[in-house]
Amino acid sequence: MSNESIVEFENVNKYFGQTHVLKDVSMEVKEQEVTVIIGPSGSGKSTLLRCTNRLEEIQSGEIRLDSEAISAPDADVDRLRQRIGMVFQSFNLFPHMTAKENIMLGPTEVKGIPEDEARERAESLIDEVGLGDQGDSYPEELSGGQQQRVAIARALAMDPEVMLFDEVTSALDPELVGEVLDVMKDLATGGMTMLVVTHEMGFAREVGDTITLMSDGKIAERRPAAEFFEQPQTERGQEFLSRLL
Amino acid sequence: MSETHSQNESDVSSGGVLANDTFVRRLGELLSVTLGLAVASFLGWIMFTQVDYSLLQSVFPRFVEAFKLVLTIVVISSILSVSLGTLMGLARTSSSPVTSRISKVYVEFFRGTPLLFQLFVIYFGIPRLWAVGQFPLGSWEIAIAGFSYAGDWRLPAAIIGLTLNHIAYVAEAIRGGIAAVDDGQLEAARSLGMSNVQAMRRVVLPQAWRNALPAIGNDQIILVKDTSLLTVIALQEIMSVFRNINSNQLDPWTPLVWVCLFYLLVTMSMSLLISILERRADWSSEQEESESHLKRLVGSIGEGLGRRQ
Ligand SMILES: Nc1ncnc2c1ncn2[C@@H]1O[C@H](COP(=O)(O)OP(=O)(O)OP(=O)(O)O)[C@@H](O)[C@H]1O
Ligand SMILES: [Mg+2]
Repeated sequence: MSNESIVEFENVNKYFGQTHVLKDVSMEVKEQEVTVIIGPSGSGKSTLLRCTNRLEEIQSGEIRLDSEAISAPDADVDRLRQRIGMVFQSFNLFPHMTAKENIMLGPTEVKGIPEDEARERAESLIDEVGLGDQGDSYPEELSGGQQQRVAIARALAMDPEVMLFDEVTSALDPELVGEVLDVMKDLATGGMTMLVVTHEMGFAREVGDTITLMSDGKIAERRPAAEFFEQPQTERGQEFLSRLL
Repeated sequence: MSETHSQNESDVSSGGVLANDTFVRRLGELLSVTLGLAVASFLGWIMFTQVDYSLLQSVFPRFVEAFKLVLTIVVISSILSVSLGTLMGLARTSSSPVTSRISKVYVEFFRGTPLLFQLFVIYFGIPRLWAVGQFPLGSWEIAIAGFSYAGDWRLPAAIIGLTLNHIAYVAEAIRGGIAAVDDGQLEAARSLGMSNVQAMRRVVLPQAWRNALPAIGNDQIILVKDTSLLTVIALQEIMSVFRNINSNQLDPWTPLVWVCLFYLLVTMSMSLLISILERRADWSSEQEESESHLKRLVGSIGEGLGRRQ
């Protein structure tokens, strides 16, 4: 973790119609930091991630990537999104393409990288996520865990500076969770900046640098992981931890 | 009491329902065999008692021109209505309210009025917008690659009518196909930095197309049969030929054999084409294997033909 902050949220407010979903959220994520976002259902965790790459619009405040405001009306969203990888709970692999083609699509279509080069990169990413011989399989032929690892490789193929993970193991059978978490652990060790929404407290404690506890659209507590799990400072934090035990 | 209940339940799961299923299945087989036999014997009876086989041979040449004409109309209107209908379907899902509303009105109009009315508007109505005899397409001539073809307003009116009408149905199929694609697909594509156009073209449309294929196929088969309406604009298609022969010979069954065979030939080729397209859009490696079997088969047929020459 360095001291440069790479993602900054400043007084972010988000409404769905009348519902105030993010309430004046401010937070800075440092380069190479793994920030784990936890909190009860409906507290706004997914919304916060989705605003980060502007899949959702915010109504006030600012979100910056490397001091460029992605929330600005005139922001070049497509270009900024290339620098932010996202992995979804439901994988969202493209079913009409093989694993390899899924991974190659971004680089070839968006960055204009030649097919051969993209294929080579895709093959090495497939190895990295431990799917050596599955490159030519279609998503429906892969297990959930394998699909999610392809989805991670697909996001990594764009060489993002930040990765967003929204409950990426929640849709998996318990025995497949480990293989996906392992890939994420490797990424964290490799120095990737990550915002991770998860219910996996083992992962949060082991891999997380900071824990962000959200509650009712606000950040209730945000502290280094070790401190948080030792003794949360806020009542919300204590309540949340005690419910997990 | 509760014991009897659970016993009943186990009865059902260990045979009751199954026995019932077998009975229903047998009954269904009996009914369909009966129906099949009834239809087959009716057809057989017609073929033996009603069809005049020497007439059948002698009227065939009179159908040939009509077959060619209808096939031309079907091929052109099909290609036009599927491609333009896809664009119309895209327009339907446009985020611009102007575009989406205009295409909605288009679809409502062409689905909401009879094809016959639309043909009358085009065939009778449009030429009257010019002074009598001035309508430029009243008679025309084209020459492509050595072939020249002359015609009047009937053929263009037929193609335009069928195309405009079926664009509406294809557009609806495509709209439904797009709506059935999970929102997560577009989000995943956009989160890679793809523009809306790139995401539609590479991710959403291929899936929408697969979803829409059965409905589009259905519509295109209806298009084939809709050509029979063209008899009302005096086009010498299959039905007109049939009516001429029937009124001369007072023998409906003989020419009806050709009518039936022709429509079935065209619609069944259409079904085959659609099922090939559907199979190609079934995304799995197994599919690719069976497709390469198909390719090999087609390839070997091609080789065989080549050798013959
Ligand atoms: N598209 C939407 N339209 C309207 N309301 C929404 C929409 N998406 C989310 N919300 C609302 O916003 C609030 C926050 O939702 P969000 O999905 O961010 O919560 P979460 O913390 O991710 O919950 P979970 O743990 O269940 O995933 C909820 O009250 C939810 O009902
Ligand atoms: Mg969520």
